[in-house]
Amino acid sequence: MESHPSFPVLSPFIARYPRASSSLFQAYNDIVYAQQWNDVEVVDVPSCLRGAIKGKKRGTQETLYVVPCSLSETVSFAWLQDAFKELFQKESVEPDASGTTTIPSIYLAITSQDASIVYYKLSQGIVKPAV
Amino acid sequence: MSSDARLIPLRIANKTAYVWDVDDIATIRSKYRICGVLTGTLPHLSQQNVFLGAPLVLLPEEAALLVDIGVAVLVDDPTAYKQSTVPQLERWSAVQQESIKTQLSYNETKVAKESNSGRAMSEDAMRKRKEREERKRAQAVAKAAEEGDSSAPASSVFMRSEPEVKLPPSTDHIPPTDTSKTSSIPYTIVIPASSSSLEWYDVSDCSYSTIESAREAGVWEYPSNLAERARRGVFKDLWKQGYFMGVGIKFGGEYLVYPGDPLRYHSHFTASVLESPIASLRPMEIVAHGRLGTATKKAHLLCGWDDEKKEVSYLSIEWAGFG
Repeated sequence: MESHPSFPVLSPFIARYPRASSSLFQAYNDIVYAQQWNDVEVVDVPSCLRGAIKGKKRGTQETLYVVPCSLSETVSFAWLQDAFKELFQKESVEPDASGTTTIPSIYLAITSQDASIVYYKLSQGIVKPAV
Repeated sequence: MSSDARLIPLRIANKTAYVWDVDDIATIRSKYRICGVLTGTLPHLSQQNVFLGAPLVLLPEEAALLVDIGVAVLVDDPTAYKQSTVPQLERWSAVQQESIKTQLSYNETKVAKESNSGRAMSEDAMRKRKEREERKRAQAVAKAAEEGDSSAPASSVFMRSEPEVKLPPSTDHIPPTDTSKTSSIPYTIVIPASSSSLEWYDVSDCSYSTIESAREAGVWEYPSNLAERARRGVFKDLWKQGYFMGVGIKFGGEYLVYPGDPLRYHSHFTASVLESPIASLRPMEIVAHGRLGTATKKAHLLCGWDDEKKEVSYLSIEWAGFG
């Protein structure tokens, strides 16, 4: 466990939020090693009792947020809204590099026990799908 | 428009709202962006469901919205039919008789024309035909009697009795009105599709301009619980933003949300209603909705209703495109 290269980054969050540890571990490794995002760091989302992953997709400059969750969890609309509140309140402190993205959105990483993972983009408000 | 002052009657039967007037259906759709579902079929082709017409069935949220914005009233249709008085019935009957008379005089001239052109439908021709049949029958009986066939008496009895059975309806059973002379000419009894023009149809004491008054009268129940309040709230909020809503069952949601009239636009969203901010939401639902929406070029809308604040907030779901 300690020898895993992700351990030093994740250990504080795993200790703080043991129930969300498996999905955070799985999502973080997928983002870093499979999706190969840049500038990846883990941010604390206390209201959701877990750490979220912040980073940039390969070849892009936009900062994106990934909130891990397990398929077997039960969440709620308020839980999702809390994640938005917490992540985008921090966002407003840091000036956005591109400055063009106005609609807050997060990626929900849904993990299952067989190590499969799927990402869904949740945007605040009524956002038309891309054509 | 002069029709602005008129409230659209939404006729309630068994707690469901129907619109029967075609002009009302058009107004509701073009002016108030409410589509409903046409459910009426054609009387002679009741099995087909390609071309449907009036009545328009409204979703309860659609009916509630139309009443809320003050353009429609809920009409308790069954009680609108009052006990008819004798003078009313007499007037109604007079109109019926008038219609029959008109039809008969029209048909008579038509039949006269046809018989002139050689068609064998006049009474004269019918009589001749009857005579011919009688003659044939008599011949058959005579022949059978000659041969001494055992089945002949039975068949002759049967045949002889036939005209006797047939005779009475043409003479006794016709009411002794002046139409009896021309009773061989058929006429149509017209039953109008809409019965609201009947004299004894009176909605004055059974129309309700608010949901509450209709609920007190026991005519209408929606919305009666949190789930229904949430749907009503979400529907109204989306409607206020200019969207058209259709039923979303084909895409696994509560509503299909169209940017304009569904006849002109594809829907951009399927919407599902979450009754409260803390109502449980399983990640599997997000996956299912998101994937189905993406496959059909729609985003899925999670519509979260807050019953305390009476507010709706939305989250749009799309597949992320990776992972």
